[in-house]
Amino acid sequence: MLPATIWLLVFAVAPVVLLFAMSFWTSSIFGTEPDFTLENYKVVTEDPIYLLILLQTLRIAATVTLISLLVSYPIAYFLASLKGLSKTIFIIVLFLPFWSSYVVRTFVWLPMLGRNGLVNSFLMAIGVTDAPLDWLLYNEGATHIGLVYVYTLFMTLPIYLSLDRMDPNLIEAAADLGAGPIRTFFRVILPLSMPGVISGCVMVFLLGCGAYVTPQLLGGTTGIMFGNLIATQYTTTNNWALGAALSVVLILVVGLCLAIFGRRARISDIFIRT
Amino acid sequence: MADALTPPRQRLSKRQRRERTRKIALWSYVGFFYAFLYVPIALLIVLSFNNSDVVGLPLRGVTLRWYNEVFGSADLIRSIVNSALLGTVSAIVATTLALLLALGFRTDFPMKAWVMRMLLLPILIPGIVGGVVYLVTFGYGGMPFGVWTSTLPVHITWVLPFAFLTLFPRVHGLDPSLEEAATDLGATPFVAFRRVIFPLIKPGVIATAMFSFTLSFEEFIRTLFVIGSDRTVPVHLWTLLSDQAAPFLPAVGVVIMAVSIFASLIGFVLSAQADRGRAKVT
Repeated sequence: MLPATIWLLVFAVAPVVLLFAMSFWTSSIFGTEPDFTLENYKVVTEDPIYLLILLQTLRIAATVTLISLLVSYPIAYFLASLKGLSKTIFIIVLFLPFWSSYVVRTFVWLPMLGRNGLVNSFLMAIGVTDAPLDWLLYNEGATHIGLVYVYTLFMTLPIYLSLDRMDPNLIEAAADLGAGPIRTFFRVILPLSMPGVISGCVMVFLLGCGAYVTPQLLGGTTGIMFGNLIATQYTTTNNWALGAALSVVLILVVGLCLAIFGRRARISDIFIRT
Repeated sequence: MADALTPPRQRLSKRQRRERTRKIALWSYVGFFYAFLYVPIALLIVLSFNNSDVVGLPLRGVTLRWYNEVFGSADLIRSIVNSALLGTVSAIVATTLALLLALGFRTDFPMKAWVMRMLLLPILIPGIVGGVVYLVTFGYGGMPFGVWTSTLPVHITWVLPFAFLTLFPRVHGLDPSLEEAATDLGATPFVAFRRVIFPLIKPGVIATAMFSFTLSFEEFIRTLFVIGSDRTVPVHLWTLLSDQAAPFLPAVGVVIMAVSIFASLIGFVLSAQADRGRAKVT
């Protein structure tokens, strides 16, 4: 117990405290020096690019969450309705792609959407277009597709778990009492699966806000997100203090969203995989 | 009479017909969804054999030269070895720490809620910040960047909350009176753990370790910022991707995917077996 607590203090808490402190420091070409200045936060609030990208990031994360929810719910419902071997098989087949790193899972969309990719070849073969379309890749749309593809399991799984726990007699009871399928869904099934829905939404939203790989690979210049802005401070401009301030802003904004929507999320539903 | 002549199919009630339509719609949607998951992967596999110097269609015949190039690359082999070793050590340490926490969490103690918050912190911090925070810490603290210096503690800390959440439900139900009985009978706490507690939770521990291994094996963003010039498998792919014209990229992707899926599949089978073992015990 004690070694684990010390480990957490040193490697989980202390770095975040240092990052928070560093957001008040000064970065120059000579390095980052301890200081107490609000200069970094002033830059963040004064240059409109940061607010703009922050809002864009929240918007993309929210849309991706919504799309994932709509895409995943029927699958979760389907999996919960299966039994025995077919259930195991469909679940394993669902998991398989997610067992590889999300760098690979993002990368697969380059040959899908690229100039000589599958989508363009298909569209040209059926005569929709004569020349390959360039706007499939390197924009916000591609970022959306990539993020939904990469994170959809984190939505499907908690919804599936909450639907799977549901007593099937309840649905029958609703039908016996004269409720149609639509009414049964909205009055019985959906409310009972709400814990899973909330867990999934919180998880996908959180992952979406911290995204870096997918917008970097697929987003081009218009589809970038806040994560890319933060990374730039460390990979190119070497402004650690500003990067720390941007990180603190992201932590606070995401934390606020979680505090509002995440109260009812069940952590164990989100993270336990099998 | 007319009723008896109509074929049985049409005699389905309105409700049954609606039920059937709904089933067909659901199954076709499921088909679309799984196609969405697998078409990009299938395309990657096809392209990895494509005898063309450009990544993409059309297909120009089958070749194995990209795979030859990939397996001939010492960098890739080294990154696989790095990832496997790092995953193993991270899994062992994280599972041990998670076990200590899980055993401790069975009883109440002061500041319990705060320890829980600390534990979950690495998951709740947005991914990109999770990388930056260690770059800043180790960079400022003067820790040299590399697989075994900076990356190992990052992986352990990242994996720890997942390990705890996987392990805790399996430890939670353990009756503390078992330990008490053992110590009352003269066993030292260590012996009580080794002879009484551990055999009961062993399947859960194995499952947790396997899950931790796969998490570490796939970790990218936190690793990227602290690994310096060393390479793990996902970081290796990332550095190759910055040179997007490389025609062997699909083959690299397929190999990396195969390695991670294989590692996870072993973990899945082992933890399923472990669970079955647990079912037999209880």
